[in-house]
Order: sequence, then structure tokens, then C-alpha cells
Amino acid sequence: MDQLLEAFGIQLPLLLAQLVNFGVLFVALTYLLYKPVMKTLDERRTKVAQGVLDAEEAAQKLASADEEASTTVQTAEKEAEGIVATAREEAGSEKTRIVKEAEARAASVAADAEARAKETAEKSLRESEKEIARLAMLAAEKAMRKES
Amino acid sequence: MEKGIHVVLKAEQLGTFLGLPITNSLIMTWIVMAVLIGFALIFRSKLAMIPGKLQAGVEWLFESVLNYMTETLEDEKMARKFFPLIMTIFLFLLVANELAFLPGVGSIGITEHGEFLPFLRAPSADLNLTLALAIISFLTIEITGIVALGFYKYAGKYVNFSSPVNFVVGIIELLSNLGRLISFSFRLFGNIFAGEVMILVAGFFVAYLLPVPLMAFEVFVGFIQAVVFSMLTLFFIKLAIMDPHESH
Repeated sequence: MDQLLEAFGIQLPLLLAQLVNFGVLFVALTYLLYKPVMKTLDERRTKVAQGVLDAEEAAQKLASADEEASTTVQTAEKEAEGIVATAREEAGSEKTRIVKEAEARAASVAADAEARAKETAEKSLRESEKEIARLAMLAAEKAMRKES
Repeated sequence: MEKGIHVVLKAEQLGTFLGLPITNSLIMTWIVMAVLIGFALIFRSKLAMIPGKLQAGVEWLFESVLNYMTETLEDEKMARKFFPLIMTIFLFLLVANELAFLPGVGSIGITEHGEFLPFLRAPSADLNLTLALAIISFLTIEITGIVALGFYKYAGKYVNFSSPVNFVVGIIELLSNLGRLISFSFRLFGNIFAGEVMILVAGFFVAYLLPVPLMAFEVFVGFIQAVVFSMLTLFFIKLAIMDPHESH
């Protein structure tokens, strides 16, 4: 056995030294390399999971916002239609009112004009009757003077 | 070169420090540690939420290993607990095996008493390191088994008087468990050491070009051995925590 150990150069101090070496390396790498890297990996994993959740939430929010927007647009359209319709109606009634008024005014103007024309005619008739009477009287006077 | 091929089974001792023999493979081990810890320090300071290419690569490696471990152990908490050990074994052996191909490792040294002493030697080509790793792996496996199942239940896997067949099976299991110490350490040592010898021999006959495919293959072997060591540790942990009644 001793010969075997001697042939392979096995010495207890060397063996212990190598055990200690590996132990030191093990502890150093655990704290310097494995733990930080694993921490980073875990942190990133949670972050990615959070990101996915956030994206889902955002998509949901977007969908609901879309829906809201479309309903808003729909109601707005309906409302606008109503407004246009009432405006059109109002405009129609206003138009008929205006036309009616105008017609009425036109009629009154026409009637007025007719009345005035009639009056003028009557007046002139009366005047001409008076004139005729005066002329007739003058003629009669002339005739009477001639006879006397 | 005139002296022929000089193959040394054990790591050469360069000196002594406070009673600790300083071998060339021990120095190389420290270099590997420095490289890994230095990398970890720089890497940690550049760690960001939005990863660069290097960080993405390291993260990919860690995540795949952790996923594989979770699948094997069928328990994510357990996988996270053993991840540092498995990953350290893998990273350490990978860097140690691949750094050994740097020019200068094994070729720069001093000649003392007519013997060539290289300053650096692949850590895995020294049984002290591979045995140390095997001991760590072995202890982890056995302690995990005892913690997971309780001492009596775990011991019952190996010392079982319920029937003659179970008794023999238990003894065989016990021996194969102890044999892991040897198989773990000698598999790694043998592969890396044999690779070095093979490249040395090839370089002795034809110094140019011929060692290139062999070196390429040994780079691959170095990676595979790192994977094998860490994966076997993982599998044996899984075997240790399995309930004996389920496994039969």
C-alpha cells in the first residue's frame, strides 16, 4: 500500500491542500458567481412574468377603451342625427311660416292697392260728375241768357 | 531528447513551504483557482439585467445544468442546493484540463540532479487532486443519503439481513460504493495522464503535426472527463436519496 501511495505521489498534506483548494473555490464561486447569476435569473423571470401580466392588462384595457370609444361614437352619431332631424324639421316649419307670412303680406298689399285704385276711380268719377253738372249748368245759363 | 521519454507518474516536488510540499500540479491548481475566481469577480461586476453575449452564455449554461439537475433529482430545491457543487466540479475540471494545453505547461522547468522538473503540470494528472475530488464527491453522496433517508434506512441499503439474497446484494452495493473512490479518482487521473503521455510519445517520434489531432482529441477528453465527473456525482446523489424499496 505504501509502495502504491509512493508510486502515485500521494501525500496527506497534498491531499488536504487539494481538499482545501476545492473548498475555497467552491465557496468563492458560490458567492461570487452562482448566487449573483441565479439572483439575476430569478429577478428577470419575475420581471418577465410581471411584464406579461402588464401586457395582458394593457390589452384588456385597450379592448375596453375601444369598446367605450365605439359606444361613445355611436351615441354621438345618434344624437347628431336627432339634432339634424329636429333642425331640419324646425327649418321646414320656419320656411312654411315665412312663406305664409309673405303670402299674407302680398295679399294684403294687393288688397290695399285694389282698394286704393277703386277709391281713386270713384273719386275721379265723382269729380267728373261734378264737372259735368257744372258744365251743364253753365250751358243752361248760356242758353237762358241767349233766350232772354 | 537524447535521454528518451521521461514519464513521471507522480507530480514533481519543487520545494517545501511550511511543511507543505509544493508540487507543480499544486501550483497549477492555484492558477486554475485564480483564473476562475478572477473571472467570477469580473463577471459579477458586469452582471446586468440585460445580458451581454458572455452573460447570456453563462446564464444559458447555468440554466441548462440546473434544468438537467432538476429533471434528474426530480426536485428543484434539491437541484438548487447541489448546483454549486456540481458546477464547481465541472468548471474546475474543465478549466484545469484545458489550461494544461497552454504552451509551457510541462515544458518549462529546471533540470536538477539530471532530472527535468517542469514548473507546471495538469492538476488532474496528479492523483492527489483526483483523489481529493473523489473524497468530496463520495462524502457528499453518502451524507446526502443519510440526511435524506435517515441513518438506519440508509445503512439498511448495505447491511440487510432480510434474506440471503438481499444480504449479498447489500454487500455488493457497499463495495461498489467504496469502489467509487477508486473509480472516480483513477478514471480522471488515467484519462488525463494517458493523454499527456500519448502526446509526449507522439511528439517524440514526430515533433510536428502528428501531435495536433491527438491534442485536439485530448481537449475533447478533458471536457468529457469534466462532464463525467460532475454527472456521475449527480447520478450517485440521486441513487443515494432514492428510497431502497422503490429502487428494488
